[in-house]
Amino acid sequence: MSIDWPRIGYAALTLFIVINYGMIMTALVRKIGARVSGRYGIRIYQNYIDLVKNIALRSKITHGVMYYLGPVFRLTGGVGLLLFVPTIYGSAMWSNFSFAGDLVLALYFVFFGTLGMALGAAESGHPYSAIGITRGLSQVTVAELPLALAVFAISLQYQTLNITDIVAAQQGGIFNWTLFTNPVATLAALFAFVGTMMRSPFDVVIAPQEIPIGPPTEYHSSYLALMQTNRVLFPIAKTVIYMNLFFGGATNWFEFAIKVFAIYMISVLVGVVHPRFRVEQSITFFLKWGLPVGVLAILLV
Amino acid sequence: MAEIAMMSGFALILLGIFGALTNRNLLRMIVAFSIASTGVNVVLVSIGYLPGRTAPILDAAVPLESAAAQIVDPVPQALVLTAIVIGLGVTALMLAYAYSLFRHRKSLDISDFTELKW
Amino acid sequence: MVSPILIIAIGLGAAFLLGFVNEDRKGIAFALTLAALAAMSLIALGWTLAFAAGNAQTADILTAGFPPPFAINLRMGPAEAALSLLVAATGFLSAIYMRDALYRHGRRAMAVLLVAIMALTGIVMTRDIFNLFVFFELIVIATGGLVLLSEDRRALAAGFKYLVVAQVISIMLLIGIAFVYHAMGSLNIDDIGPVALGFSGAGLALFLVLVALFLELKPFPANGWALDIYESAHPGFSAIFSAASGSAALFAADKVLATSPAWLPLATAIGIITFIGANILALRQNNDRRLLGYSSVAQIGLLLTIVGQRDLLGDSYLFIAGGVLVAHAIAKAGLFWMSGLVGHRDLKDWAVLRANPVLIFAFATFVAMLVGLPPFPGFYAKWDLAHILMAGDRAWLVALILIGALIEAGYLFRWFGFATKREAPEGFPGFSVNKMGIVFVTLLAGWTSGWIWGDLSANPNVLSMVPVLFALAFLVLEPLPARIKNLIAIAGLVGWFVFRYPAYDPLQLVFAIIILVGGAVIFLASFNWQGRRLGFYPPAMLMYAGLAMLIEAETSFTFFASWEILTLGSYFLILRGKMSEPHALSYIAFSLGGAFAILAGFALAANGTQPFEMAALADVAQTAAPYVFILLAVGFMTKTASIGLHIWLPGAHAEAETDVSPMVSGILLKAGLFGLWVLLMHMGQTQFYGINLTYFLVWIGAISAFLGGLMAIFQEDAKRLLAYSSISQMGYALFSLALMNHLGWLLALMFVINHYVYKSMLFLAVGGVYARTHTKLMYKMGGLITLMPFSFVSVLIGIIAMSGVPPLSGFGGRWVFYNAIMTADMRLPIILIFLSGPIGFLYLFRLIHSIFLGQLKDEHRKLKEAPFWLLVPQMIFVLFLLAFAVVPGLILRRVDAYISTFFPEGGLEWTSGGIISEFGYWNPVAIMLVIGVIFVSVFLLLLWMNHDAQKVKQFNIGFAGERPYRPETTHFAWNFFAPYRKAMGFLVLPVVTTFWNAVTDVLHETADFARKFYTGNGQTYALQALGFVVVLFLIGSGGTP
Repeated sequence: MSIDWPRIGYAALTLFIVINYGMIMTALVRKIGARVSGRYGIRIYQNYIDLVKNIALRSKITHGVMYYLGPVFRLTGGVGLLLFVPTIYGSAMWSNFSFAGDLVLALYFVFFGTLGMALGAAESGHPYSAIGITRGLSQVTVAELPLALAVFAISLQYQTLNITDIVAAQQGGIFNWTLFTNPVATLAALFAFVGTMMRSPFDVVIAPQEIPIGPPTEYHSSYLALMQTNRVLFPIAKTVIYMNLFFGGATNWFEFAIKVFAIYMISVLVGVVHPRFRVEQSITFFLKWGLPVGVLAILLV
Repeated sequence: MAEIAMMSGFALILLGIFGALTNRNLLRMIVAFSIASTGVNVVLVSIGYLPGRTAPILDAAVPLESAAAQIVDPVPQALVLTAIVIGLGVTALMLAYAYSLFRHRKSLDISDFTELKW
Repeated sequence: MVSPILIIAIGLGAAFLLGFVNEDRKGIAFALTLAALAAMSLIALGWTLAFAAGNAQTADILTAGFPPPFAINLRMGPAEAALSLLVAATGFLSAIYMRDALYRHGRRAMAVLLVAIMALTGIVMTRDIFNLFVFFELIVIATGGLVLLSEDRRALAAGFKYLVVAQVISIMLLIGIAFVYHAMGSLNIDDIGPVALGFSGAGLALFLVLVALFLELKPFPANGWALDIYESAHPGFSAIFSAASGSAALFAADKVLATSPAWLPLATAIGIITFIGANILALRQNNDRRLLGYSSVAQIGLLLTIVGQRDLLGDSYLFIAGGVLVAHAIAKAGLFWMSGLVGHRDLKDWAVLRANPVLIFAFATFVAMLVGLPPFPGFYAKWDLAHILMAGDRAWLVALILIGALIEAGYLFRWFGFATKREAPEGFPGFSVNKMGIVFVTLLAGWTSGWIWGDLSANPNVLSMVPVLFALAFLVLEPLPARIKNLIAIAGLVGWFVFRYPAYDPLQLVFAIIILVGGAVIFLASFNWQGRRLGFYPPAMLMYAGLAMLIEAETSFTFFASWEILTLGSYFLILRGKMSEPHALSYIAFSLGGAFAILAGFALAANGTQPFEMAALADVAQTAAPYVFILLAVGFMTKTASIGLHIWLPGAHAEAETDVSPMVSGILLKAGLFGLWVLLMHMGQTQFYGINLTYFLVWIGAISAFLGGLMAIFQEDAKRLLAYSSISQMGYALFSLALMNHLGWLLALMFVINHYVYKSMLFLAVGGVYARTHTKLMYKMGGLITLMPFSFVSVLIGIIAMSGVPPLSGFGGRWVFYNAIMTADMRLPIILIFLSGPIGFLYLFRLIHSIFLGQLKDEHRKLKEAPFWLLVPQMIFVLFLLAFAVVPGLILRRVDAYISTFFPEGGLEWTSGGIISEFGYWNPVAIMLVIGVIFVSVFLLLLWMNHDAQKVKQFNIGFAGERPYRPETTHFAWNFFAPYRKAMGFLVLPVVTTFWNAVTDVLHETADFARKFYTGNGQTYALQALGFVVVLFLIGSGGTP
């Protein structure tokens, strides 16, 4: 098997672009949030400073092998997810490693980082980590349910599990987007989107006032740097999936930037106006509102 | 005649069974059963009886050639004999039981012997 | 050939001779008695063998030199010969057994015994109805005498009650005989012409005779007197009373009924009511002998039912009735004789038998015989009976018989559980060699009868099947050390696989690999046990034998026999666990219930044709097909523990021994799946009122997958968690199988493979941890990762594989799943499956977190890694999972091609660049590579930045600047998913358990209430007997014109 060096180069470039984009975009989002509430907010390059600061920390400890590997799993999950999904439609190279698997791969690879992170955090032995994990896992099981149903609905609609084919079917005008051809499925998916972006009202997992920051409580220094990188990368990787499935994908990096930002802002907007749910409340919420929409989606196809 | 015998036989049987089921005393029960088996024997004999015929003894009065038309059926009578013997045996056994029960338990009341149940 | 009249003459003569023996020369008297009984047995044996060899003709023996009806004649036919043998041999063995009691009571008692046996053979042979009466009366008198051999004082009262009722019966019998003679003019049974069903004249006469004979059979509920005898008499006599008297009386009833077939329904009705009623009442019995009494009554009831069906059974009548009778007689005599070895009368006191493993084996044998399990006569009889009745449109009777049999199995196996699990008494004096010898002889007779019935049967003999023989050979090998036996077992499994390999089709091959090769891998863990490990290998190998035969079964008989064998083997295997008693019972109850459903299903499908090819299921008539489908599916689903039938599984799997859990979970559950597979393969399109039945299976599978998983996440016990997870996994497999499309089947097969691997692996890992920590409660563990790294790795790999996260093999399953549901007709059940995937993730994470991560407990600081031999199979599984993840095609490709023969559409395309379906694609190698490269890169990056990280101690965590008090309070593990319980807990209320508990409670309460009916008063018993007759008369005369 020959190594496809250009493809690897493009993959690395994709990664580079997305990480930087994410660094700035998340800072921008925080700044917007601050301005809305009348504060000045962080500097737009604050994320870079934090990253450098974390890497430069001199006190570094470890609680064991899994603890050490936790952030590695986490970031691998983020990077892998990004690269398994075609980023820019119509470009063989910007499709990265999507030849390895279709939509199902993307859906299940989401859990790779979650699992590794949970394992690593659990080894730290901190009760807050464990509490954060149980909250996170409990919530994600039902939060992902509407997405699973929506994905089923649209793969039935397009009769394929190939993401590129699904994007292709949405080309030729905004009204070809799944958003318009199948609004119910899109709505269902957006339940899941808001539910898994770690933003209010579904952020009890990391609830800073209760359990410092939940699972990553014990992480610091370079560990935190990796996780921080993931925290800007992973939401975008996920947003890309939503973009491809429901919002027509992106044919160039500019479209990519706009669409990702717009979709990302959905969860932000929901978040700023809603107080936090307890886990059982969010479970009930998804079962009561998200699930019926999802069921409707698969019944209507 | 045969009807009367049979009726009284059945009356004895019912009487005996009634007695056995209503008297709690073991000895009375045994007596009642004796009455009932007597009744059975009467019924048996009455079945074999044919009006106007003679005892099944082949002698000068009953020539062999016409015996079948003249005598009553001997088989039930033979059965009765056997039944009487057996009845005797069972009655004796029951009496022995009653004796033994009284010796061990100082009671002849059937309702005192209910430790085996359910 | 010796004249059979000698049997009677010898008995009578010896009884007279005993009168001449000096009262003090007890040895001589006893020798004479034994010699007479032996001679009687030998004559009967001679006739039996002659009939078996076909060298003898049915012989009529005339007495007094006249032909019947002028004199009594005896008849010796095959049935008479066998029954005489049964009676005489029981008498002979009982005489030896009762030696002490007979010595104590002297020659008179011996004479009475001889008379009793003589009279019983007389009942069997005589053709004269009055002679029958005489013999019955002799038995009454003899019974009255022999009851007194007991040391139990209460026997005296029991004997009197018996005599009272016997008087009532004899009055009726005698009147009946008199009127029969009046009507027929003859006392010879052969002259009693066909009497129409009626209740006047000849009909009334025959009714009285029959009802008296039925009363001799102790019909329910007019049988309190007999129960009292069973409870208090000498067990040696009870054996005669149950095995010999019962059989002889039954034969008498059969003789009379044979003359007038119109009366057979009466026998059927009384028989089946007795069978079910007595079995229900037995549920509440604590006294072993009274329980055996109830069971005897029930068995005779079953036999009477069979007698009542003789019009339908035709040529098979003797084979069927004989099979049930022989099984009943041998087992019941054996159990009564065993009860003499047990010092106390409570069922739990049978735990004393554990002092001798052969006795436990004998107990198991007798229980299996009574329940009608292979390889015993009752099994063949039950099989034929169900087939003939089903073909004769008497399904209702099959249902009633099977329900009764299930109840009987329930209390018998519960009792067996007591014997193996309850505390054995201290200061045990030892068994009488004499009595034990008798039990062993009975044991031998039991197995011999099994072989004979197998040989007589038109179906294959279970005892000549190689796997079964191999498993039974381990009984002989028991004295060897466990490790040598283990080696032989592994060699046997692998050897059989290699031997049979060419004959398997791809589907069978996959199952064979799991059962035989997989079984061998799990056996590697068994090297961990030293000593002899008595009672482990025979049941384990029996289970494997059943499984190995199951997948190759071509006829319904072989399939069913294999099914019963694997059920029986696995039951004994599960029962071995320390706390397994109630769970093993619930397992066998559900399994036998399922097996009976399967039996009924096969019988219905066969519609009388035997042997019935499994493939012929496809050709079952339209009218019967849905019922066949439902019965078989329900039967198989008891094994896959589908929701509603699942309550046995958690306890059975969780409480089993460490190496048994993977066997019964990873391998045994596949039997149910295989059954469903075969069913769907042949009957997948069966419609029921226009609805495809697979539709229900899809729902059941989805609900099982969902609820099983949900219940798993709330378990604190690690093995219970895994057990509930099996319910969920089997639900998945059922779901995908019932999708009835190409990829659905492929998916089911992947579940078969994956579930075997990771469930075996996880059970072994948890078992290894248990071996060190001595607890299965996860919150009591924690932080074991550094102490047990290998166990951790296998759990980790197991979790990744099972939850479907790429790159391990579980993902392949998810991918196929998505492709499979794309073409499925049903969408709603899929929602449940979607939800149960992440739920699986929850409980698996809990498993690894609570055991291996978090805070290490003080008492665990010095633990070692799990035992070596437990780790060996785990590491094999780890390697397999990694390999299977990269090259799934090695196994799946062939199966994919094979499935194409059933579903040509929708297969996969296996290319070098990955696997392509109609809808998507999947490249396992690329996924593995990409993830691997990214992972290593990130890891190297972290290492570069963070190579100098300092390892800190356990409590060095950011805890508000304080040190946590203790690991117990810091380890967050108990009730781990509390929020989930708050939100979803209402879904896991134990509704199903409550339902099944209610069913058993109702049965038990009914039993407890109804048995008060037997007040213990002799007059009440007599009244009940009379009432029985009156009710029968009223119902009968009301029902006929």
